[in-house]
Amino acid sequence: MDTAAANRSDCPEVRVPVPLFFTIGVVSLAENLLVVVAVIRNRNLHSPMYCFICSLAAFNTIASLTKTWENLMIVFANIGLLEKKGPSETNVDDVLDSLLCMSFVGSIVSFLAIAADRYISIFHALRYHNIMTMRRTRAVLGVIWTLCGVSAVLMVRFFDSNFIMICFVVFFVVSLAIICFLYVYMFMLARIHARKIAALPASNGGRRRRRRWGSGMRGALTLTILFGAFVVCWAPFFLHLIIIMLCPTNPYCECYRSLFQLHVVLLMSHAFIDPAIYAFRSVELRHTFRKMLLCSDWKRCS
Amino acid sequence: MSDFHNRSQSSARRSDYVWQYEYYDEEEPVSFEGLKAHRYSIVIGFWVGLAVFVIFMFFVLTLLTKTGAPHQENQDSGEKRHRPGSCLVDIGSPQDENDKAFSRPLLTGPRSYFHFYINEEDQGHGKRTGNPDGARAQQGTRGTGSSGTDEMEDDVEEEAGGNQPLEGLLEESKTDGECAFFSHFNIPNFVNLEHSSTFGEEDLLYEPSVVAERRRHSRDAHCDGH
Repeated sequence: MDTAAANRSDCPEVRVPVPLFFTIGVVSLAENLLVVVAVIRNRNLHSPMYCFICSLAAFNTIASLTKTWENLMIVFANIGLLEKKGPSETNVDDVLDSLLCMSFVGSIVSFLAIAADRYISIFHALRYHNIMTMRRTRAVLGVIWTLCGVSAVLMVRFFDSNFIMICFVVFFVVSLAIICFLYVYMFMLARIHARKIAALPASNGGRRRRRRWGSGMRGALTLTILFGAFVVCWAPFFLHLIIIMLCPTNPYCECYRSLFQLHVVLLMSHAFIDPAIYAFRSVELRHTFRKMLLCSDWKRCS
Repeated sequence: MSDFHNRSQSSARRSDYVWQYEYYDEEEPVSFEGLKAHRYSIVIGFWVGLAVFVIFMFFVLTLLTKTGAPHQENQDSGEKRHRPGSCLVDIGSPQDENDKAFSRPLLTGPRSYFHFYINEEDQGHGKRTGNPDGARAQQGTRGTGSSGTDEMEDDVEEEAGGNQPLEGLLEESKTDGECAFFSHFNIPNFVNLEHSSTFGEEDLLYEPSVVAERRRHSRDAHCDGH
């Protein structure tokens, strides 16, 4: 009892208010659902890039839905409506955990797929249409979803084995490295070409020089936001996993673990800002949203 | 009462966790005695490291924009006459001029890489300088890449005033051949010929795709052997 009190007083678990969880969950659910519906409805968006963005949004939708449902269950359990250790509750809890794992792995793999698709569209632009056909895209998406489902079930089934967690962490780090490399390489090529273009004299040379400075910063800022958001939102959770495995009884690690709910909020907020980074950058998609949301006469608009 | 509170708190904590593990247990107390550093030192160290990493990455990217590229020294003085400028202004120019432009080979001999940055405005002024095919290809590939890489090409759009930065890909496409080039000219990501869509400031993204579609139809006839 004393040590429990000491635990609570020295590094108390930081609790995130449930309304915040719900707000983030519901808003990100609405956003990502909107993206999924928009991509499905608009025929112009049936292309590989938008398919991957749609898949990312679908995974985020599942994650938000699952997390919100889990929060609901926790709230009910705290009130007393649900029994914490009941068989049906633990089953539902297992299902929710599998879905969460699946959406986490799926999000990361979708990021990889989007980065690879952009890489191909830049470096093999003229053969892009042959490399990334819709059939291949569908096959890739099928493989992604199957793999994520299987790995999620395996992860939850064997969660107590360290090996699974090590695999998960290694997978995250490798994906991070690949995504970083792809984007930085694309950025470098874009900058080199931009520099070549800008090096050609123009009548508005002075204006060009000023714009080059500003646009270089913008490109770097965009890429930093893209990658930075990914790292900032995902890394704390993965460090948590690593710490669970490495130092369960260390007091420093204990204090890090006490921030678990904050890290989960970060994960959910990544599902919340993903559409802003990936989907809403596209004019066509924004167009579709406007049509869907503001159009009162469906026949005329769609 | 406190016992119940402890139990409910710990089980509430347990159900919060995605993975349940036996470490987080009151039976295994974590001793906070004799801590040398601040107890949140891992947290602080982690976040400081993360911030440093992100800022470092930002500065590296900004530096990449400033360091000179090795290809810059290859420019001829001849290309200085060319103004890449507003290629897209003349997208609507008559088909026959551009058809003639397309009949030129894409890459011939030791032509400088920069011959591709030809704009149609020069054509309009009667100067046929260099290879407009490249310009067309650039627009096509730009349309290709832009939808997928909007955020990275935004800045370059401003600079080029419409010419996209993907012309370097034409070097890689040397082996593709002319007809392969023309028939793979489709914009893979979106071909938006919907006239009902209103364009925002990313008009530049759409113009090339529209042009590319028109060109593709004319090119299909030209390269039916592919």
